[in-house]
Amino acid sequence: MTAPMQPNLDSALIERMMSGDEAALSAIYDRYSPMLFGVLMRILRDRPAAEEVLQDLFVQLWRNAAQFDPGRGSLAAWLLIIGRNRAISRLRERTNREVLEETEGLYADTFVSDQNIEEEVSRTELRGRLVAALSKLPAEQRQAVELAYFEGLTQSEIASRTGSPLGTVKTRVRAAMQSLKQILG
Amino acid sequence: MTELHANPEDFDLYALDALDGEEKAAFEAHVRTCSACQHELRQARQRAALLGLAEAPLTPPSSVKAALMRRIHAEKAASDRQIVPDRKRKASWGLRFSMAFAAAAVILAVAVNWLWQQDRRHKEEIAALQAQLDRAQAQAAQDAATIRAINEVVAAPDTVHVALMQQAGGPPGQAHVLFNARLGVVVYSGQVAPAPADKSYQLWLVPATGVPVNAGLVAANQQNGAVVVHLKPGLTAKAFAVTLEPYGGMPQPTGPKVLVGALNG
Repeated sequence: MTAPMQPNLDSALIERMMSGDEAALSAIYDRYSPMLFGVLMRILRDRPAAEEVLQDLFVQLWRNAAQFDPGRGSLAAWLLIIGRNRAISRLRERTNREVLEETEGLYADTFVSDQNIEEEVSRTELRGRLVAALSKLPAEQRQAVELAYFEGLTQSEIASRTGSPLGTVKTRVRAAMQSLKQILG
Repeated sequence: MTELHANPEDFDLYALDALDGEEKAAFEAHVRTCSACQHELRQARQRAALLGLAEAPLTPPSSVKAALMRRIHAEKAASDRQIVPDRKRKASWGLRFSMAFAAAAVILAVAVNWLWQQDRRHKEEIAALQAQLDRAQAQAAQDAATIRAINEVVAAPDTVHVALMQQAGGPPGQAHVLFNARLGVVVYSGQVAPAPADKSYQLWLVPATGVPVNAGLVAANQQNGAVVVHLKPGLTAKAFAVTLEPYGGMPQPTGPKVLVGALNG
């Protein structure tokens, strides 16, 4: 099911970045920053915060380039997952704390995506299919998925927010994601 | 899918970090040992990650990239400078000066050019050093505030010490907490086996009554760098616990307890 990984532009750029090539980071930033900034702005609804998370995300990529293994997953997926996690974490940050030494995890266990989202053309085409698929979902299904993805709410929190029984929330999320699965193939 | 596998509804919820409570713990416990459900979860994670793509791309302001590249350049310059052996640099200087004294008019031009290049390099080095200094000063200020807080807690007669011990079946580890309820300060240090890449360790104050209070994330190895957490003064704790949570932490504990320590009395 999973297509074998082909050497692609991302792999080449990561390799150059590992040898300290700042231009390679610049190229990766140009490729992915609009995609990421759109998601970060939707989650945080705070431009300075989104800009800060975006910058930190690429600094993390620069520092940990040596650990990136294109065979383990796609760069776009990794950036989306970590970017969303950082934004949700920031959204929910409540405790004033000081940390002397932070040992952040390196690359998350990303996946080898069935969807080729490395290339701009594929990404644009895939986005079109996703938007169309989401627009066809019943409003309550779409709302449940968006509350989870963009606001980081748990199923119980979604139930509380929407005034729906927990079982209904579960069914809505399941139905929405299954619809996306069928439409995306 | 049979009854022996996880509930089909839970895969997408888990992939969206939306599954919570006992259902989540049961789901994780099952998936750890079921390759069919691991495969199913991988598929669900792929679908969840793609949701971000549906959002319209938005070009960030150029100042973000400029700041990023400045930051990267300063880091790289600082890193490069550290690996240049001093002896090599001194030899290079000596050689250049010898040549300058050996030739006359030509050397003057060479020297002017060399000085210009040196000046440019020094300016770059100064910029990198300034960036490094700014970071060091910010870090030093933060460290000083942390050390002051630690000293205050250690010196206070009403500070309590709590040893947090590993739990049966959990990862090995041990930690210590100094807690001063009057100041509302928690100092945590300790070590536990590294968390999975998509998980974080989170510290909780378990009060005498009410729900656990979030005391923030802690790294697996916090032996040499204590974490100081400021909570609301006056909280009455009966225990402290570290749990394994989704990456970035949760508002309330949802994962298994990894380290637990009760206050005496």
